[in-house]
Parts: sequence; structure tokens; C-alpha cells
Amino acid sequence: MRPLTEDESKIVFTKLANYIGKNLVHLIDRADEPYCFRLHKDRVFYVSESSMRLAISVARPNLVSLGTCFGKFTKSGKFKLHVTALDYLAQYAKYKIWIKPNGEMPFLYGNHVLKAHLGRITEDTPEHQGVVVFSMNDVPLGFGVTARSTVDTRKLDPTAIIVFHQSDVGEYLRDEETLF
Amino acid sequence: MDVSAILAAHEAKKQAVTVEKEIPLELDTGLLAVTDLNPIDCESYNENLEDYLTSTARDGVQALIAALFSLPTSSSADGPLAQLPPPATQLPRAKPLPKPKPLTKWEKFARAKGIQKKRKDKKVWDEEKQEWVNKWGWKGANKDKEVQWLTEVPANADVDFNPSQAARAERKEKMAKNERKHLQNLARAQAAQGTPNESGKVPQSQRKQLIDYTLATTRVSTASMGKFDRTLEGEKKLKGVKRKFDAAEVSAEKEKSSNLTILSKLDREPAAKKSKNSSGDSVLNVRKAVRAVSGGRGSATLARKAGGKGNKGKR
Repeated sequence: MRPLTEDESKIVFTKLANYIGKNLVHLIDRADEPYCFRLHKDRVFYVSESSMRLAISVARPNLVSLGTCFGKFTKSGKFKLHVTALDYLAQYAKYKIWIKPNGEMPFLYGNHVLKAHLGRITEDTPEHQGVVVFSMNDVPLGFGVTARSTVDTRKLDPTAIIVFHQSDVGEYLRDEETLF
Repeated sequence: MDVSAILAAHEAKKQAVTVEKEIPLELDTGLLAVTDLNPIDCESYNENLEDYLTSTARDGVQALIAALFSLPTSSSADGPLAQLPPPATQLPRAKPLPKPKPLTKWEKFARAKGIQKKRKDKKVWDEEKQEWVNKWGWKGANKDKEVQWLTEVPANADVDFNPSQAARAERKEKMAKNERKHLQNLARAQAAQGTPNESGKVPQSQRKQLIDYTLATTRVSTASMGKFDRTLEGEKKLKGVKRKFDAAEVSAEKEKSSNLTILSKLDREPAAKKSKNSSGDSVLNVRKAVRAVSGGRGSATLARKAGGKGNKGKR
């Protein structure tokens, strides 16, 4: 377990800023308790300072997880967000999309969001913007990247993809072994 | 008629030619400078500053001029000139003291042996010419052998032995050797300072480091980056650069501030690097505003409309 280097922090922050924009400050500068980012075995954890200090005394091979896993660094140095970060993303998301009940299951099995399943979308969402996917009763289901801007979606046919799937809560079951 | 009263009044106007001070003034006529070491009289200083300064300055100048008139003079077309003595005040030097030069090899040796340097005369007495001639240099005595009309030739000399040329070669060889030794002395001095000299020669202390560095570079400069190369006997494993990370237990405050600076740097990145639609971050949503104003027909329509109106106004 170690703090992120400056380059790593930059990569993580740009990825997070894609979803929550300026709200990223609220993750770093929290009012309740100091939180920090820690890297352990390629995984980035968002953890309160007190539990981080407790975890210092755990040997590296014995430490499985701490705090909230935000994602992992791939071998090529890219950062991949995990569904475990969904709680924070949903809380601070700038752009949201709500899907109809009939679209929930296809999305939770790892498929993209089609226009037919689109319930609501934040106004003026640009293209290729990170969005958090909600069910109609405001339960966060996952996140993805918009394929078209809000204006462009109007002209599309119902089978067109509007949000590319990146992660969904179904992964808690599907990728149970590798997720944490 | 009694003029004594008028004279006395006139005399009173004049100030004393001799200056009396508690501590006598320090004069340096060489620099035309006077130093007044007397403490300031607080009362008169506070009362009238200008008057006080003028009177002090007047006393100093009076003393200086009195001293100037006592100097020996020489007459000139413009009148008598005073001969200023050399300056007595010690001024600090502007430049630092020169560093001691590094010793040459001979100087080191002479110091160790306690050999004193003997000044030798550059001239020698020539019996034939009956005059003093240079030992070397212009018309130097060391060139005598080269110019004399008759020379003794050794018995085992070659047929084409040229005595004057041989003498010249010997003299030139001495000069070349001296130059060589001079350069070596310079190189030694450079090496002592630890910088490569102008001929590109690196001191031995650095040379070993450079060789190690070159060797390390060549070892990873093969197609497999040194992985499948045959290792030589006694070759050590290459040591890479160790990565350094912050300690895990840095204070949260420090980490927070460093994270926030990274974040502010990200915001400052040029627009081209960011995603195309970064307008969402600003307070005003330009796209939305354009749509509202143009009634959903886009910015081009809006611009055309505004332009048309302007033209109409001109006509």
C-alpha cells in the first residue's frame, strides 16, 4: 500500500472528472473525515485516513482490501473504474441517465443502453461523456459513456445505442473473484 | 576718527580660520577628504538641521583648504599648483584576493627539498665581443654553436652530419620539452580542481565513472536489451534505478493539498487536450443559451439574423 504518484493521481483524477467533473474536489476535500487514495496491488482504494493508518500495520501479502476500491491500473498504465466506485460516482454525477424497467435487465447483463430503453437523460449531455445510469426509481445501476449528445439522440431509431456500457452492478455477481 | 569699532564688527563677521574640535579632524589631502569623528550635537541638530550641517561642512572644508595651502607648490601657467601627497586612507579592494596558483611539479619538489629560488642574470659577458649578451632569445648566447664558422665534429659522426643543424635541433628539443612540461603542469592543476581541461581530457577520478556508465549503456544496447547476452566471467548484475514513493503515512492535510494542486493543474490544461465539450464546466451553458435565443435553429441562424438587421439599419 502506498500513496499515488503524481502521474498516477493525474490519470485517476482525469478519469473521475469525466463522470463527476468539478465535484471531484468534494472527494478530496471532505468535511467529515480526511480521506485519501491508496494504491495496493495495482488497485486504487479510496479510504478514510483512520482506516488507512490501521491498514499500515497489515503486511502487504495479507492485505486484501481497504476502504472502497475505485478501480485498477492496467499493465499499460491506464486506469479502469470498477463498479465499486458507483456509490461515489452516483452521488456526485454531473450527467445522469434513467432507464425504463424493461431496459434494466439487459443493462445489468452487460449490454449497452439502447434508445428504446431510455427513460430520461440530463439535458445537454455532450457526446462521449461519462454518465451514471439509474433505474426509474433512482437506484444507480452502473455507468457508461454517451454515444451521442442529447440533441442527437432525438433523431435516432429505437435500436441505436446511446450509452456504451462500462460497468454495472451485475458485476458483483459476474466478476466476484476478480472485482476486489 | 575711531575706526576700531567698525573693524571689530567686520572682524566678528569673519569666522575663525583655525578649526577647533574636541576630536581633531582626520585629513587625507591625497584624496581631498576630511572625516569628522565628533559626535553629533543633538540639541543644535534637532533645532536647525540645515544650519548644523552647513556649519559642520564649513569647518571640514576650512580645515582641508588650510592643509592644502601648507602643501609644497609648483608654479605653472595657471598659477601655483599644490602637490598632493599619496592617499593615506586604506580603501577596501573591489575584487577578492587572487587565489594562490597551483604549484608546478618543480615548485612542489623544491619546496619539499627546501631549495630556494635563485635569481639568475639574463645577460652573460661575452669575452670575444666584449659586451653583455642575452643568454637566450634575441642574439642569445645559446645560438652560438649554430652560427660559429668552425665546429668540432665528433670522430664517429656521419658523413652528412651537419653540426649547426644538430645544435639547433638540440635547442628546439629543449624548448619542446619545456612546453610539454608546462602543459602537464596545467593538466595537473586542472585535475586537482576536478574539471576536464580544454583538450577534453577528463581527470582520472571521473574517467572511471564514465567508463562504468558507457559499459552499462552498451550492455543494454543489444536487440534483447541485454537479456539474452552471454555474460562474461565476473560480470556483475546491472543495477537499475530504484523507484521512490512517498511514505504511506503522510499527513492527510499534506496529501490533500498536493491532490488539490494536481487537480488545479488538470483544470489549467489546454482545451484541445480536454474532451471536446468542456463547456459544461462553466456557469453559462452556451449551447443551451443559443438554443433558447434562436428558438432551436442554431447559432448560424442567429448570426444571420443579427447581420441582416445591422444591414437594414445602415440603409
